[in-house]
Parts: sequence; C-alpha cells; structure tokens
Amino acid sequence: MLCLKLRLRPVLQFLAVAVGFALLLGACGSSDSEPTGPADPEPSVAAAPTPDESSDTATLSGEIFVSGSSTVEPISVRVQELFNDVNPNVDIAVDGPGTGDGFALFCTGETDISNASRAIKSSEAEECAAQGVNYVELQVGIDGLGVMTNANNAAVECVSFADLYALTGPEATGYQSWADANAVSAELGGAGNLPDAPLDIFGPGEESGTFDTYVELVIEKTAEARGQAHTTRPDYNPSGDDNVILGGITGADTSLGWVGYAFASNAAGVKLLDVDDGESGCVAATPASIASGEYPLSRPLFIYVNSAKAASNPGLEAFVDFYMADGLDRAVAEVGYVELTEAAKSDVRAVWTGRS
Amino acid sequence: MIVLLLVFVSSIERAVMAFTTVGAVARGGARRGLVGTSGFAKLRTDIAGGLFKFLILSALLASLLILGVLLIDTIVSGWSQLSTRFWDFLNGSLRSRSIDDRLGVQQGLYGSFWIGAIVACTAFPIGVGAAIYLEEYALRSRLTATLELVIRNLAGVPSVVYGLLGLFLFVERNTIFGFIGLGWLVDATGGRSVLSAGLTLSVLVLPIVIITAQEAVRAVPVQLKEGAYGLGATKSEMVRTQVLPYAAPGILTGTLLAMSRAIGEAAPLILVGAISGGLTNNPELWDASALREKFTALPIIIVEWVSERGRDPGFADAAAAAIVVLLALVLLLNMTAILLRNYFERKRD
Repeated sequence: MLCLKLRLRPVLQFLAVAVGFALLLGACGSSDSEPTGPADPEPSVAAAPTPDESSDTATLSGEIFVSGSSTVEPISVRVQELFNDVNPNVDIAVDGPGTGDGFALFCTGETDISNASRAIKSSEAEECAAQGVNYVELQVGIDGLGVMTNANNAAVECVSFADLYALTGPEATGYQSWADANAVSAELGGAGNLPDAPLDIFGPGEESGTFDTYVELVIEKTAEARGQAHTTRPDYNPSGDDNVILGGITGADTSLGWVGYAFASNAAGVKLLDVDDGESGCVAATPASIASGEYPLSRPLFIYVNSAKAASNPGLEAFVDFYMADGLDRAVAEVGYVELTEAAKSDVRAVWTGRS
Repeated sequence: MIVLLLVFVSSIERAVMAFTTVGAVARGGARRGLVGTSGFAKLRTDIAGGLFKFLILSALLASLLILGVLLIDTIVSGWSQLSTRFWDFLNGSLRSRSIDDRLGVQQGLYGSFWIGAIVACTAFPIGVGAAIYLEEYALRSRLTATLELVIRNLAGVPSVVYGLLGLFLFVERNTIFGFIGLGWLVDATGGRSVLSAGLTLSVLVLPIVIITAQEAVRAVPVQLKEGAYGLGATKSEMVRTQVLPYAAPGILTGTLLAMSRAIGEAAPLILVGAISGGLTNNPELWDASALREKFTALPIIIVEWVSERGRDPGFADAAAAAIVVLLALVLLLNMTAILLRNYFERKRD
C-alpha cells in the first residue's frame, strides 16, 4: 500500500540505482587512474631517452602484432620495451600462445612477426606459401634443454642419448626402474650402467615446443632406425607448466625430467645432468657450452618476419632493425637466454639486410 | 599455492552468489512466520543435534581457515611489490622482467574495467528483460519450461566453451550454415579487442543474470501485483511500478555478482585473444576508441606472471600482488552489492 502512493517514484528509484551503478563503475575505475598525474612513469620516461637515432625514427608510428612461442615471448617483449623507449608511438602487442598456434596466425597474415622455438615445419611453410605469405627467418638466440634429476640423486651424473632414448622413448613404455632401460641402452651403444631405482619421469606435454625439440634431438633418429614411432613413451607425467615439472622432479628422489635450460638453471632442488651425444663424451650444460653448440641438447630460437609487411610498414622494419642490434646484443641475455656468438650474429644481420 | 587460491576464491565467489540469491528470497519467507517454531525441543538433551551443529560449524571454520591461510600467504608474497611501490604497481604495465620498475597492472585494470562496463551495459538489460518476460508474460507452457531448463543448463556450461563461442563469433571470420556470414561482427568488434571480450563474457553471465533476476521477480508478493491491478493498472504499469522496484535489490545483487564473476574469468579471454606478453598501447581509461584495440586483463596478467615465474622467480611475487589487486576489486564489487541490497531492502519495507 505504501508503495502505491507515488506511481512514479519507484521508477525513478530504479533509474537512480542504474545511475549509481554506473557511478560506482566510474569510481572504482578512476580511483585507480587518478594517481597517474604526478607518478605516471610512462610518458615521462618515453620522452626522456636521448633521441640518438635519426630524427624520423622518433616520429615513427604504426602497429605491430607479434605472436608465437611463449619461450621466445620474453625476448620480443624486452625488445618491445627498449624500442618503445625510443619510439613510443609504435604500438606493439606481443602474445605467446605457442609456436604452432603462432605460425597458424602468421600464415593467414594476421601477425607481423612469429616467434618460434624451432624452425618452421614444411607443412607450415606450405601453408604460408599457399596464402602468399613470404617471410625472413632470423635466429635470435639459443635455448638449451636441461635434463635433470633430483638433487639428492647421487647415482646418475651423465646420461647419453642412448640412455635417454632407452628411458623415455616409445620402447620404454612400462619401465618402472632406471635399470629396466639398460638392455636397450646397451644395444644402442650406451654404457648400460643405470641404477636400480624408481623412475618417475616429468616433461613438457605434446603441445609444447620443448616436447617437439626433445623428440627431434633425442628420439627421432634412433626411433627411425628401430622402426618405432617418433614420440616419447606415453606413460610419463606431462605438463605445459615448467613449474609443475620442476615440482615433480624435486618431489621424487630418483626422478628424471627435462625443461628449457632457462628454467632449469634457475631451479632449486634439482641437478642438471651432463649429456653425451654418443660422440663427444659428457658435456655439462653451461651458457658457454650451449653457445658454442658443444652441448648437444640446445635449440635455436627464431623470429619469422612477414616480408611484405616489413616492406610496407616502416615501424615494423625499424623494429626488426632494432631487434637485430640491441635485441641480439642485449635483450636475449637480459631475459635469461643464451646469446649467439659474434660470428652467428653477423650472419643473421646479413640475412636481414640482404633480404629481397 | 597461488593457483589453489584462485580456485578457492572463485568457489567462495559462487557460494556468496548462491547465498545472496537465496538470502534475498528466503528473508521474505522467514519474516512471514517461519520464525516462531515450537520451544519444546529445548527441554530434551539433543545430543545428535549438538553433534550436527558442531560438524557444520567445523565445516565453516575449516573453509575459513583454508581461505585465511591462502590469503595471508598471497599477501605475504605480494607484499614486496605492494608495500614498496603500490602506486607504481597500479600504474605500471606488462614487462619482460620482474625487477623492472615499470612493472604493473594498469593495462589489466583498464581492460577489466571495460569488460565489466560492457557486461553491465549488455547483460544487464537483456537479462532483466528476459527474466521479467519469463516470469510475468510467458504462458506456463511446456516451451517455457524447456526454455528455463536450457537457461539453467547454460549457467553450468564451462567458461572455456563460451570462450570458443566468442572466438567463433567475434574474432574469426566464420560463416554459419554455409551462407550466413559473420564477418560484419568481426568488423564491428575489431577482432582481438576488449569489445569482443566484454561481449563474450556478457554471454557467459547472461544465464546467471536471468536466473537471479527471475528469483527476485518471483519473490514479489502477489498481493502487491493484485493491488496494482485492483487500482486499474495495466500489466506494464504493474511491472514498472510494483515488480521492478520490489525486485530491484535482488536484481542488482545478482548483476553485480555476475559482473565480479566476469571480471575474474581468464579462460575465455585467452581464447578471445587477450595479450599476455607485452603491450605498448596504454590509453586513458575513458578513451573509448581503445575498445576495438588489443587488450589485456587482470586474470590474464596473473596467469602470465604465474607461468613466467620459472624463468624469472620474481614474477611469483608480482603475480601474488596482482591477485591481491584483483581480490580487492572483486571484494569491493561484492561488498557494494550487499550494501546496496541492504539499503534498498530497508527502503522498500
């Protein structure tokens, strides 16, 4: 009865609620943005760097979309940061859904640069060709794969490719102990001295570029010769999250696992194993042995640049120029990957400057 | 730990949502006579009853304890960022290294803000409209019953599926049935943009908005409606002057809680193309032209930093700090919902 006295009032009330709601939205948004005035670092720093480049680069603008490998993503983000300090008006977005997903976008022309933790596959290259996308392949750095066990595991110091194939290859399905692999390892010319200890394996899942690289480097050749599938044993603990892999390895005393070297070298509670490719003996994973290519489990990191877009977008061209200079010299090491040697750097720069 | 907390927060959020919805409806009932049950039970020693009370109390305390531990752990890890550079952290952007003094969540805050605004502007009117139609206008037919069943099922569909829908409709150029082109939708949203993300999350929360609004509309006393008819009001007048004002607190609560759900979602945003690595673009909050640009959001930043912490362990602290910011935002929204509900309920009665 009370409410019937004024017929308009409830409607107004309802409107007031809606307006209040909008104000609330504004309030929670602006409380975050208000302090930007004095302390906002973005514009001031963007303006501050000395414009030592030629004057026209400071007025560069345009948009660049970089996608692809999440491993290479931090390098490209670091280059973006350094580049934007000099050229704040070039809008760059860097994403990291994965190498394969990145090439799918790259070959439809949606992205300008594709990060990749492996070279482009022939099927992907055909797809790009079919869509009329021409590209330049540039190696920007190196990532090593680290093979690891628990820090408490004193029985293993070095594994050979034969051991790794015997432990993690398709023929190892069902092996519960390291020693189960000795027979196959010996057949392949390995030492066959793996300890009789429980075997818990942790590694990246099939969707990961690291998985592809591991199969390619460790398993493929032997599997081909023995008529086996080009994959790992199915019964290990796969994860897309390197932290989960590290957690698994630190959680089991005689575990075995592999992740990218940048992750492995920072991890506590794990022991990086030396790796023997069957020819040059045991090699420890160090930045030096990876850069020289001596350590057998290392992989190159690439960016693929869409040639037509680089020709038509001055911002993109300048960005890749910058990548070839400060990117190779500075960004790669700053985010934890292994720099190319000076000779390799000049080769890559020659590829970029010599593009048709 | 961090992942656990995220899961836990979202479950609490859902519990709060269920509680407030049920609460809004049940209150009316409680006041109308469920209160005065017989006092005879007190004369007997009720052992089973006491045990039951103890059990349900310990269930409550256990969940609060877990929440408390996770919350403290997260705040402790995030403290190094929040205590030393709070404003810088709120105003910073996505960076490649955790030690960068420009690292922060501003881009994510703005993205999440716009997503919330778009959800409010689209899911709110459509959802409330649909609820009023279903409750007041639709005939009680088998078709209506089926529709309601479908809506309730849609509320339970995993958010990733809505992400796929958003990808299909707003990001990729697709055709349905082989001849109805959807390219114009992509042209309108700009593809991988805040607009696409906001619309996707609107679709995600729409069933929740409809259901909560329906509950609120259903709780309007029939005497009020009949009183309005008795005074000669038409149906639309009755809905405008009686149903809407009476149901406003419930509707509002449901909408705000649905919005905080939308702000906390990560999976659909990944599919719709939120940027995870780095983003130059950092427009003013009120710059609506940024709606059709590439974006990121708070949950995406958290996911990204959690996954980067293997390469750069400092990102674990940054992720914890970002979780605290998101948590504060969601709690603020939920608190507003509860306060507004209480205020309007008092006013209504």
